[in-house]
Amino acid sequence: MKRQHVGVFIEQRGGVLHDVGLELLGKARELIEVSKGTVSAFVLGRDISAHSEDLIARGADTVLLADSSALEPYRLLPYTSVLAQACKTYDPDILLFGATRMGIELAPRLAARLNTGLSAHCMDLRLDTEGKLLQMVPGWGGGVVATIRCPLHRPQMATVMSGVMKKLVPTKRSGECIHLDVREDFQGSGPKVLEVHIEEPEEMPLEKADVVVAGGWGIGNPDGWTILQDLAALLCGAVGATRPPVDEGWVPESRMIGQSGKTVKPRLYMGIGISGMSHHVVGMDESECIVSVNTNPNAAIFEVSDVAVVGDYREILPPLLKEIRARLPEGRTDTCEPPQ
Amino acid sequence: MKRMIVCVKPVPDPKAWDRLQMDPVSKTLIREGIPSIINPLDKHAVEAALEMKDLFGAEVVLLSMAPSDAHPVLREVLAMGADRAVLLSDKAFAGSDTLATSRILAQGIRNIGEFDLIFCGNFTLDGSTAQVPSQVAEFLDIPNVMHVCDMEIPNTQSLLLTQKIEQGTVKLEAKPPLLLSFTKDANKPRYISFMEILAAEKREIQTWDNANLNIDETLIGLKGSPTQMADLLLQSKQRKGIRLTGNPEEIARQLADKIHQLGII
Amino acid sequence: MDFLLSEREELLRKSVREFAEAEIPPKIEAMEKTGEFPIELLEPMARLGITGIIAPPEYGGVGLGYLARTIALEELGRVCAAIPMAMQVHHMAIAALNDFGTDEQKQKYIPPLAKGETMGVVAVTEPSGGSDVVGMQATAELKGDKWILNGRKCFITNSHTSDFWIVMAKTAEGAKGLSAFIVEKNHPGAKTGRVEHKIGLRGSNTGELVFDNCEIPKENILGQEGGGLAVALKTVSESGRPGMAATALGIINACLEEAAKFASERVLYGKPISSLQAISFYLAEIYTELDICRLLCYRASWMKDQNMRCDNENAMAKSYTCDAAVRCALKAVEIHGSYGILQEYKVQRLLRDAVVTVPAGGTGQIGKVVLARAALAPYRKKK
Repeated sequence: MKRQHVGVFIEQRGGVLHDVGLELLGKARELIEVSKGTVSAFVLGRDISAHSEDLIARGADTVLLADSSALEPYRLLPYTSVLAQACKTYDPDILLFGATRMGIELAPRLAARLNTGLSAHCMDLRLDTEGKLLQMVPGWGGGVVATIRCPLHRPQMATVMSGVMKKLVPTKRSGECIHLDVREDFQGSGPKVLEVHIEEPEEMPLEKADVVVAGGWGIGNPDGWTILQDLAALLCGAVGATRPPVDEGWVPESRMIGQSGKTVKPRLYMGIGISGMSHHVVGMDESECIVSVNTNPNAAIFEVSDVAVVGDYREILPPLLKEIRARLPEGRTDTCEPPQ
Repeated sequence: MKRMIVCVKPVPDPKAWDRLQMDPVSKTLIREGIPSIINPLDKHAVEAALEMKDLFGAEVVLLSMAPSDAHPVLREVLAMGADRAVLLSDKAFAGSDTLATSRILAQGIRNIGEFDLIFCGNFTLDGSTAQVPSQVAEFLDIPNVMHVCDMEIPNTQSLLLTQKIEQGTVKLEAKPPLLLSFTKDANKPRYISFMEILAAEKREIQTWDNANLNIDETLIGLKGSPTQMADLLLQSKQRKGIRLTGNPEEIARQLADKIHQLGII
Repeated sequence: MDFLLSEREELLRKSVREFAEAEIPPKIEAMEKTGEFPIELLEPMARLGITGIIAPPEYGGVGLGYLARTIALEELGRVCAAIPMAMQVHHMAIAALNDFGTDEQKQKYIPPLAKGETMGVVAVTEPSGGSDVVGMQATAELKGDKWILNGRKCFITNSHTSDFWIVMAKTAEGAKGLSAFIVEKNHPGAKTGRVEHKIGLRGSNTGELVFDNCEIPKENILGQEGGGLAVALKTVSESGRPGMAATALGIINACLEEAAKFASERVLYGKPISSLQAISFYLAEIYTELDICRLLCYRASWMKDQNMRCDNENAMAKSYTCDAAVRCALKAVEIHGSYGILQEYKVQRLLRDAVVTVPAGGTGQIGKVVLARAALAPYRKKK
């Protein structure tokens, strides 16, 4: 197998690196292992060379820096031009982007500029025996998984959602920094950015939450809700409930999920101490992943769960909180997007 | 502002997705018998174009690359108020990935003629790659802005756009010609009125095949697609109810793994 | 016989369904509480074409036929029957004006109805009876160049949300003594009276109209003097009955959907209750009733669109469909078990709404009087 060169686009806004770039560096290292290839980090912006050390520590062999005031803030056409030029010069076999708002706009434009293939929101990436990239892509709302290849065109491009791949723990590594020559000022190149407005994250409305931690009669008392709130806060989610806790006054009615309450479709729904009566289930059965905890092995909720835990939440949740905290990046107290 | 072009795509109705079956030999999904609807986000794109029609009297042309049975769906979108539709349909287009599809759409746009703005939905329900808007714009050599959640038109030479990003919004100023793709917050698509249903029956749906577009055969369909499908697996939506076993610490570890797998940690 | 609907009709159905599913549910809670019609829905319904669906285009309407109207009302009724109840009476007013009005009257009064600027009213019923039309007590006397109206009308739909009303009154004794009038709410002596609080179809405003030496201009008589019975009968038979039938048809559709959905999810004895024959047979019955009523309603409306006489068919559609709506709603409530009688669940409203459609717009018994006459007609002894 020839030595693979994997490039990773390191997204940044206002000088703050998006985690996804670091995660993809981790994956890139894995991909080049067999062929003993190299990983390049492509960074565009202004005053960005300070990041090089961290990028090398996280897996980059080469950091390609396009540092120019014309490249801050991000604009689609200037970034496409600079990356296209860099790809022509440095010729990566594979080029990875985060499937972020920026990545979704930029990667396809670049792929068309380079006349190459791109697969979107891959859930996994592997190399076949010849070193060619295999891209696993979900479709039809998750009902289908396709394996995509880009046999002839280069680079083989893919976007990956944040959180799918794992960042490497920083280690002492050596690498080089190369400053790309950015001569153009890109003045007339596309729309002008008037303002970048960062919003304060507000109280998560139930229907918008990516994660819902819901409690039922099995919680037993109002104090039990504290740990549910802690778990929800840790996972940047919202707290929900079934009817009995609402009737008991343990939670406000606005938290109620079900036939006569709210309908939620989060990525993760955790039902704690919930029996799973149909009038609650109809409010959450389209959640992507349902995890339930109940002391009753025959609880109806297990019929509609992906993962079932027969047990007492008071014993299961504290170690779970510990496990999750241990997996968070240093300095982070929850999984919410870092404000930038 | 004389002409708006809106790219629309019929997609299989999500209510019928559980009926989807796969051909085990060709590894393609069998779409026959699954009813089609207009991609929901495309309605927001159509609405944006119709607002331009209301303001400036612009012509609104729908463009779709789809099999020839797309007529009922196109008729429905015409009944929102668009003026006419162009359907790009040819067996040679089948199997196109987003690059080939974008090439075909771009050529269709060139054949329609001059335009001020092109509107798309941010992504489609079936493929959800969200790649076509940027790629069509690249082939037409015009700028594009994705994730548009608000559009203001102070005058015909300048648009004020609000783009949604993870951390908030970006305000941009842009000039036509331009391609925009919309999120569902951008506007509220108008309902189809009975008057428009009647009027739409007289509106034209032109069908063009590759003889009209004249694109090199090696650049369209399977041949023109850099990405190829190597395998396709149907995933059952039946929830497995996997029971975790072990002491609380072991269970906690397995749960944390699962949460990580979902991309939340 | 072609039983299929056209592409136009299917698209119309889709359009009303999308509108109804998005815009009506947020209003239902207030409608159930206050019984008031959500007047803010008039404008979007006008934009859609619902208010003016059967009005001629020259008066601001869409100019579609009665099959289109039936489909539109059915789709509204599937979400909340009070809305098509109000709309169908609104259409009755348009039909009466269109069939019997002078050009000036049509020019003046149809456009505001077609465009949804106000709501239409046809006032026949009195405390003395609705079925006994000829027995009405309200009077109208010509004094100089004004008609003076006296009397009260009750159980009038849209009474309090309309700017003008079509009112029947006696100008002489007997069947040839009834006349129809257009009364504006500002005409001196015209008043709205009490508002009724119904157990169902809440959100369709029902109330009293009071005429106390009410003076209306001479030219506001609708049709011929003494021709009021024809106005009442034609309007009720050709617009009112099919409108009520379509409303009840929507209720039956909702009953089937709610009951089938619930039966598929509710688990007893380890399986969904839909696997129990008693339940599934109920569903089969509702399914059949839905189709029977749809065929009756659509056929009668189709005949009207072909300008065929269809009084019997409309009477049949109205009396059968409203009775069927009650039967189906009761079965749907039973399928829900104890949940069926809880206010939080939609199905109890379907039952209350269905019950109210039975006497409204012409009782089922009067409908049967009409049908009996048709059945016996070939055997009537010649005098």
